[in-house]
Order: sequence, then C-alpha cells, then structure tokens
Amino acid sequence: MTEPTPQPNPEPSMIDRMRERLVPDAMPSDDRGRMRMVMDSLVLHIHPAKVEASTLKWTYTWGLGGLAGLLMTILGLTGIVLINNYTPAAPQAYLDILELNSNVWFGELIRNLHHWSANLLIVVSVLHLIRVFVTGAYRPPRELNWLIGVAMLLLVIGANFTGYLLPWDQLAYWAITVGTSIISYVPLIGNWLSRLILGGPEVGANTLLNFYSMHISFIPLLIFGLMSYHFWRVRKDGGLTLPKKAESDSQVKPERVTTIPHLIRREFIFAIVWIAIILVFAMLVPAPLEGIANPDISPNPAKAPWYFMGLQELLLHFHPLFGAIILPGLAILAVFLLPFFDINLTSVGVYFRSQRGRSLTLLGIGLALIATPIWVVLDEYVLNWNAWLPTWDMLISNGLIPLAVVLLPLIFLDEWIYKTFRADTEERVLFIATFLFTAFIVLTIIGIFFRGPGMSLYWPWAIPTIH
Amino acid sequence: MNNTRTYLIEALIGLGATLIIVTTLGQYMLNESSRINEAQAKVLSAQLDESMTLYAENCAVCHGLNGEGIGATPALDNPALVTMTFDDLYKTISRGRFDTAMPAWSKEDGGPLSDYQIEEMVALIQYGDWNATGERVVNLGLAPLVPFTTDPNPALFAEVQNLPDGLTLQTAIQIFASSCVACHGADGLGTGIAPALNDPAVRAKTADELTRTITFGNAGTLMAGWSNSLTGEEINAMVTLIQRWDEIPAGIIPAPNVPIPTTAESIALGSDLYTANCSRCHGPDGQGTPRAPSLNVKGLLTTTSDLALQQIITSGVPGTAMPTWGDRMTDAEIQAIVGFIRQWEATAPEVAVPAKGGGGGPPWLRNQTTTTAAQQPAAGTSNSTAGQANNPHQTQQAVTQTTTLDWRILLLAFGALSISFTLIFLGVASLRRKPPKMDKA
Repeated sequence: MTEPTPQPNPEPSMIDRMRERLVPDAMPSDDRGRMRMVMDSLVLHIHPAKVEASTLKWTYTWGLGGLAGLLMTILGLTGIVLINNYTPAAPQAYLDILELNSNVWFGELIRNLHHWSANLLIVVSVLHLIRVFVTGAYRPPRELNWLIGVAMLLLVIGANFTGYLLPWDQLAYWAITVGTSIISYVPLIGNWLSRLILGGPEVGANTLLNFYSMHISFIPLLIFGLMSYHFWRVRKDGGLTLPKKAESDSQVKPERVTTIPHLIRREFIFAIVWIAIILVFAMLVPAPLEGIANPDISPNPAKAPWYFMGLQELLLHFHPLFGAIILPGLAILAVFLLPFFDINLTSVGVYFRSQRGRSLTLLGIGLALIATPIWVVLDEYVLNWNAWLPTWDMLISNGLIPLAVVLLPLIFLDEWIYKTFRADTEERVLFIATFLFTAFIVLTIIGIFFRGPGMSLYWPWAIPTIH
Repeated sequence: MNNTRTYLIEALIGLGATLIIVTTLGQYMLNESSRINEAQAKVLSAQLDESMTLYAENCAVCHGLNGEGIGATPALDNPALVTMTFDDLYKTISRGRFDTAMPAWSKEDGGPLSDYQIEEMVALIQYGDWNATGERVVNLGLAPLVPFTTDPNPALFAEVQNLPDGLTLQTAIQIFASSCVACHGADGLGTGIAPALNDPAVRAKTADELTRTITFGNAGTLMAGWSNSLTGEEINAMVTLIQRWDEIPAGIIPAPNVPIPTTAESIALGSDLYTANCSRCHGPDGQGTPRAPSLNVKGLLTTTSDLALQQIITSGVPGTAMPTWGDRMTDAEIQAIVGFIRQWEATAPEVAVPAKGGGGGPPWLRNQTTTTAAQQPAAGTSNSTAGQANNPHQTQQAVTQTTTLDWRILLLAFGALSISFTLIFLGVASLRRKPPKMDKA
C-alpha cells in the first residue's frame, strides 16, 4: 500500500454536496443494493423489497389503485395552481373562471386537467372497488384496508361534489341545488343539517365558501392521510392477494423479484402513459362552463352531478326517504360490512370466485340489464301506487310497496340460484351484488341520457330543449 | 427471452408516451395565444347574448326597441357612448342618474341587476349590435308598444282656432301630438307609464307648478325636464293647454296606429299558434268558417290596428264564441299571432270566401280544406311542456312525441337485448356444465 500523498483532501464543493444528498452515487446494480434502497427510503417503503412475480401481471390489478394515486397527485398539483386564480365569492368566482379560460396562459388546460382527472378518479375508484370485490381481496386480514378504501371513495365523491360548485355557473349551481336537496330528507335533523351545509336556506355565497374550504382543506387532508395509510396497509397485509395453490404446487416456491426495477419500472411506464392520455384528452375536450349562476332561472330538467344520477333516478320511483336515505344508506352499510359477512377464504385472488361464480356474474349482469329498464318504464307509465292506494301513507304506498316489488323477485332469484345451481354463500353474495350494481349503473345511464324536461323519459337524441 | 421482449415493448410504450407528452405540450403552447383570443371573443359574444335579453327585459321600455330612445329618454345607439370609459357607463347604470328618469339598477342600490349583469350591459352599449338587440326584444314579446307620435284630427284641429287664444292651443296640441302622446296617451288621458293630463286634478294646479314640472321634470319618475327641447313660450303654451283641456273637443289627438314589430322567428311562432288554436274556427288561411268570421279580408285588416287585434284576442268578444285568450297565452304569443295575421293584409281579398264544411260524395271528392279535429295538433304551446313527470297527460304527450321508430331505437333495443340475452345464455349454459375443479381448492 502506498501512502496517500500529503495533499490536502479537496473539500467537495457545496454544489457537489447537495448533488450527493439528492442523488445517490449510483443506482445499485445488485439485488441486495436495490432492496436496501427500498428499505432505506420512506417513499419507496410503501413497497416491499421483493414482490411475487405473478402479482406484476397487468391483467390482475389493471393498475387501478396506482392510477387512482396518480390522479390524486395530478389533482393536488393542478388544484394548488388553480387556487392562485380563484376567489370563493359570488359572482367573482365565475369571473375568475372566465379569466382563467380567456386570459391566463395554460389556464384552461390546468382547469381541464383538474376537471377530467376528478371525474376519471370517480370511475377509477369504483372500478378499483369492483376489482377488489370480485377477486375477494377484502377478506381478512385486508378488511381494514377495505374499510379505508370505501371511506376514501366516499371522500372522493365528496371532493368532486364540493368542487362541482366552485365554477359558480348554472350547471354547478343547479346540480348542487338538486344534490343538496336530498340532505333535507334525513330524518329528524334534515333541515338543520341542510342549513348547516348550505350556510343558509338555499345555495348561495355562503355555500360557495363552505364548499371551497371543504374542497381545499378538510377533504384533501383526510384523503392524503387515508391514502398513505391505505398504501402502507397493502404492504402490511402481505401485498396483493394471490390464488391459493393447489396441494401439489405448495412445495414450489413462488418466483420473487426485486421491487427495483421490476415493479417500479412498470409503475413509471403506467403513470407516464396515463399522463399522456389525460393530457391529450384535456387539450382536446374543454371542461363545461355555462352562464353565471342565476337562482331565478332554473334549467329544465335540473340534474345532479352525473355520479348522483342513479340516486336521482331512484327518487323518481321511491318516496324520498327511501330513495335518498334508506336505500343508499343500506347499500353503503352493506359495502362496509362485506368483509365481516362472509369470511370464507377459499377463493381469494381468483376472479369471480369460481367457474360457477363467473357464470352467475354473467347471469346477474344480463338479468339486471333487462329487468331495470323494464321496471323503470313500468313504474313511469303503469304503476301508480299513490293513485291506487290513496288513503295509505306515502311512506307505505310509495316506499315499502315499490321496495317489496323490487326486492321480492330478487329474493326468489337468490333462492333459485341456491337451489338449482347449488351456489354457496360467497357466490350468492357475488350474484346479488352484481345484479344490484348493474341495476344502479343502468339507472345512472337512464338518468343521464334518457331524462328530458320534467324528468320525463325521452330518447337521448329527441330531448327537446326548453328555455 | 420472453422477459426481454416484454421489457422492450414496455420501454417503447413509455418512450412513445413521453414523446406524445412533449410534442402535444409544445403544440399546445404554440397555439395558446390564438386560443386565448378565441376564448375572449367567445366570452364577449356570450355576454352580449345575455345582455340583449337583459336589455329587452329592463331597458327597452324606455330606451326603445333598437336603443333609439323614446321621447325624452336618450338614445343608446350613440357613437359617443362607445368612446366613454367603462367606469362612467358602469356607474351610470348601477347608480342611476340624478334628476333624470334613470334609476339605480345595481342590487346594492335596490335595483334588480347583479354586478356581472351590469358589466354585460356596458359590453352591449360598447360592442353590441342594435339591430340584433331589436330582434331579441321583439322575439321576447317585450317591444315597447307606446305610441310615438301622431297627427291631430284635422277637422277638430281647425275648430280649436275659433277658441280664445286658439293659436297658442294649436301650437300646444301639435307639441303634445309629437312629444307627449308617447307617454301621456291619446287626448292626454294617460297610459300605463304616465298619468292623465286631461284631468280636473291636474287642471286645478297653478300655472307655476305646471311650468316647473315641465321645465325641470319630476325627479324619480319618467318625466324628464323639457327646458332643453322646448322654448319658454312653448312651455307656457303647454301649461295653457293643460289648464284649458276641458274646452278642447275629444278625439283631437287620436291614438296612433302602432304596428307590432315582427321577426321571422315571431312570424313562425304566430303561424304555429294560429294553426293550433285559431284555424279550427277561422279557417286554415283565415278565410273563416260558419263558426267564426274571416280574418283574411281587406275590410277587417285595413281598419283594425295591431293594438286593437291584440286587445280582441286577449280579452275575447263577449257574447260570441271568441274566448279570452289572455288567460291561455302570453303577450308575446298573442303579439306573434297578430304579426302573423297582419301579413295577410297585402294579399287579402275584398270579399271573404268562408270555407264550407264537407261537401258531398265519397271521401276523396269532398272539400278537403275544412279542418277537422283530427288535423289539429295537441293544444299546448312550447312553454307548457314543462311539468311534473307524474302528470298522466304529460307522460301521454311524451309517449306520442317519441314513439316514432327510427334506426337508433332499433339499434339501442337490439344491442341491449342481444347483450343481455348473450350474457344470460352464457351464464346459464356454463352453469349446466360441470364446473372444473381447479378453481376452488
């Protein structure tokens, strides 16, 4: 060994030190170094150091959870930019949006990105929920993550709904008016709650301020906290669900690969492809903006935001207490309780439980696709319980009876698949859930596209415009 | 091998996405300034569109159909206003103008308009198209129907000369017929917007009081000060006329024949409404039927003014089958019908040829011009379609409107049914098969 020359060791410059801190010397080239890197980093720590190769398949998760996270990031970044050109006051809010669209460089693009990402986020969140449901990934030990996920879905809808009002145009004003009118049907505290949320008897400047503060502080904060927890929990619960191996395969060790580069690379490519898609879409399709909010002129029909159209459609067929409070409340409760209802672990990680489950899913979708429009048309033109039972309470004649008319066939259907096809409990849950969810989607589509003035049924291309 | 290929494909996809992001962002940036210009033009045209409706609803009654001004109200289609600053116009509209008929319009000052709407009104004054505004006013049925000017009845006018101080009275009558009749009405009997002057209470006022009102106007009302347009002598003559109106023969200043303004849109609406509501009795072309007199005849159209026609339609004719249409239609709709009927005047025959019903013989030989109930479209106008979904009549109408089969309905029905049946068939078919064992442990 030669002695180092007695030169003074050159101190690294400040720039060098900063670069060293920011960028590690080199990407580790061996698996061990890569695993270390994951372990040492807070951000990368949401992933385990190694993942099973089979969970990397695109077609298993479709990347829906990651896409939701990406959309959250886009929403956060564009949202911060949008705050800079926005005043939560009527009518200044509308003027700010007009200015954003017509006098700010990239203003419209940022708004479009925010708008379309927000709407895509709702679709993606619901698809993510469906994916987790049909692969049985909500079963213990993942039940807590399922609950967090459902809570986040509700928060995402809340964020979208509060953001819906902010442009303060006619579309926003009346959609929020219709949407919030449901609140007053909450038993006992409805009116008080409605006044609390709206800050007055009707949607006005106070509502705008309430919604704005909810939209930029409380809801994003909650979502950010829950999201971090959600990601971390995925790792803590043992990563993604995998199908149970048959007895003969249990000896073979599953192939495991390092997170860097295999998982990270796919995540980056996936993110960049989706950024490109959203960017191009936002450049081509401008976010809607109508005239300034005018409480004196209501559009006909006044429709809630599109993701509430299924509920608004229900309201046309049920007493408001049933259509707006009891049925959605029961649905949300059922989704929350799902992990505790059926803890059979046999089919975790298999799409649609089993071969029979797949068949029953097809059957459920097909039946709901036919039954729902028929029921809507029947209820619109033929069934008129109020007129047939004039002396009965509205709650019974327009609530319980239609509910029974809808639920009884469903119960018989459940009995039928139980007896005829020997479906087990989890397949029956799958069938009922598929049927109800498809029915809800059909109701949403009918509400969005087939309802014209006075909420009467029309063909989508024949809806008359009324001023 | 397979891994390498997957890796390569994924890397290429990522590279392509990056390229798309970079190029589209660059393209967007190049296009940004022209996009901003387009967006600004769009904002302006949207504001102008809304402001024309606001003008029709709030301003046309005083400032006229095309912003030309009525009586003492100033014109708005004035090039001088275009060069005024935004602030001056905005403040004038929002706060009103002291000592004139211009009230404050902003909500803060008790008016009906929001700040945003006042901004739109300024845009209309500075960038608006007054002809288009006039059309909008007519289509909304808000055209001001005040008589503008008229000519005194010549025979009675000559009589006035024989009265003491007849020349002064004649001067005053001429001024009244050209400047005052617009608001104070025929023979000074008043209209909806101004009080009667031919009235004992007014006659009882002193000359000083009347002179002051005419000279300086009446603050807070539409009455403007006339000192700029009338000389002192002329104002004195007006005072004389007002104080001695009981000596003037009635009918000397007739209500002028004011045509109801029309546009292509209003004529089309009038035609539809006529076919739906009037043609059954008055005949499809106004030739009349045994049930009601003809309208398409010179004698009626030349002697009946638009206002009279509107009055007849609105209130009906007592003791005849002509009902009161004012309960069923808006003023705008009735005016549209009058405009439509007025079109016949040029070609109307001297003698009406009422349609005779039926005729003899087999159906194909009968007189087809008679309208039958089957030909009538459902009664109801465009704005009565709004209603509750539960209204059975309403839903009936919705059904009849939409039951025409076209390819889209067939496509939708066929698509939905085939998808559903395929799914059900697949589901049931695979359920009958024995399930493979591998899925469930």
